[in-house]
Amino acid sequence: MRRLLLIAALACAPLPAAAHKVIAGVFPSGEAIEGELGFSNGDMAADTEVVVTGPDGTELGRTRTDADGFFTYVPTAPVAHSFHANLGAGHVAEVTMPAEDVARILGAAPAAAPAPAAPGEAPSPAGGALGAAEKQAIAEAVRDEVRPLRREIAAYREHNDLQSILGGIGYIVGLFGLGFYLAARRKLAG
Amino acid sequence: MHIVDGALSNPVVIGGAVAAAGGIALGLKTLDLDRIPTAGVLSASFFVASLIHVPIGPSSVHLILNGLAGLLLGWAAFPALFVGLLLQAVFFGFGGLTVLGVNTLNIALPAVLAWLLFGRLIGRGTPVQGAVWGGLGGAFAIAGTTAMVAAALALSGEGFLPAAKLVFFAHIPVMAIEAVLTGFAVLLARKVKPELFVRGIAA
Repeated sequence: MRRLLLIAALACAPLPAAAHKVIAGVFPSGEAIEGELGFSNGDMAADTEVVVTGPDGTELGRTRTDADGFFTYVPTAPVAHSFHANLGAGHVAEVTMPAEDVARILGAAPAAAPAPAAPGEAPSPAGGALGAAEKQAIAEAVRDEVRPLRREIAAYREHNDLQSILGGIGYIVGLFGLGFYLAARRKLAG
Repeated sequence: MHIVDGALSNPVVIGGAVAAAGGIALGLKTLDLDRIPTAGVLSASFFVASLIHVPIGPSSVHLILNGLAGLLLGWAAFPALFVGLLLQAVFFGFGGLTVLGVNTLNIALPAVLAWLLFGRLIGRGTPVQGAVWGGLGGAFAIAGTTAMVAAALALSGEGFLPAAKLVFFAHIPVMAIEAVLTGFAVLLARKVKPELFVRGIAA
């Protein structure tokens, strides 16, 4: 019992910090794909090589993250893009942007690339009162506003609260209780 | 310390799963009625220990406590640590479900080795001597785990030495902390419940 208390006291002393888990996300940013890469404890992966591959595994290109773990990649073909990065010591990040999203980026690009006609969503020929440049500026502003929120949501998702810790301990107690029951029954029968 | 999904090649993942299943089966056989509560308590402490982060430089590492589990449980450390790892993967997203076998092997096998090497010594002599051996066993288990992680990465194509160095040096503070922690746990257990170790060796 005293050992149990010791372990419990040690376990409670420091506040549970964020988990050491890789987080990676990609989202459209104008005519490029923007992504971020880092650990869930807030360390971002600075200056890390990101390899971009197509759906069949062929390499489409490479890019590097900046000091804040952000990277951008300009797609050229409307196929699914997989972003793969090795952060060392068994930490691997892989995140894929589906083909539709990439096609939408290519469709939105002002210098519409010659070959890839975006399926579904064609660039609207400036139908509204807003010109393409204004739309671009608004999109840019919205993205800048939303970026901190994205980070916060990503961090929140990685947050381990007391409930999940207690839940896990509950599972362990239950599981070993079951084992205890089975072992006891076997002993009584034998 | 937890290898994530997708970092390892398929043969390593499958090999690790088979070996871990063997270890769990062996462990369940030695897990008799009296030791189930011990296994449960150690499984729960392992589960929680991973949330205690030790900051070193720009990064941080977390406690593992596999040495203590191995010293007290022997082969039964396999099922106990497997349960802890499974729940960590499900609740916290540490590691992953496909690499569960490899992670179990990486963490439980050094624990069993520590028990084979130091298990006998802990039960002998004065409690303080036992505690010193326990501390050594705790540090040994972490060192073994770093070597296993590096080996798993090396078998999947990463250079062994750079990977091993990186993981090993990052865990030196953990080794020191776990040595002290395991030593004190052994000291306490030797004084309060000495039969814990006698049983562990008899099994």
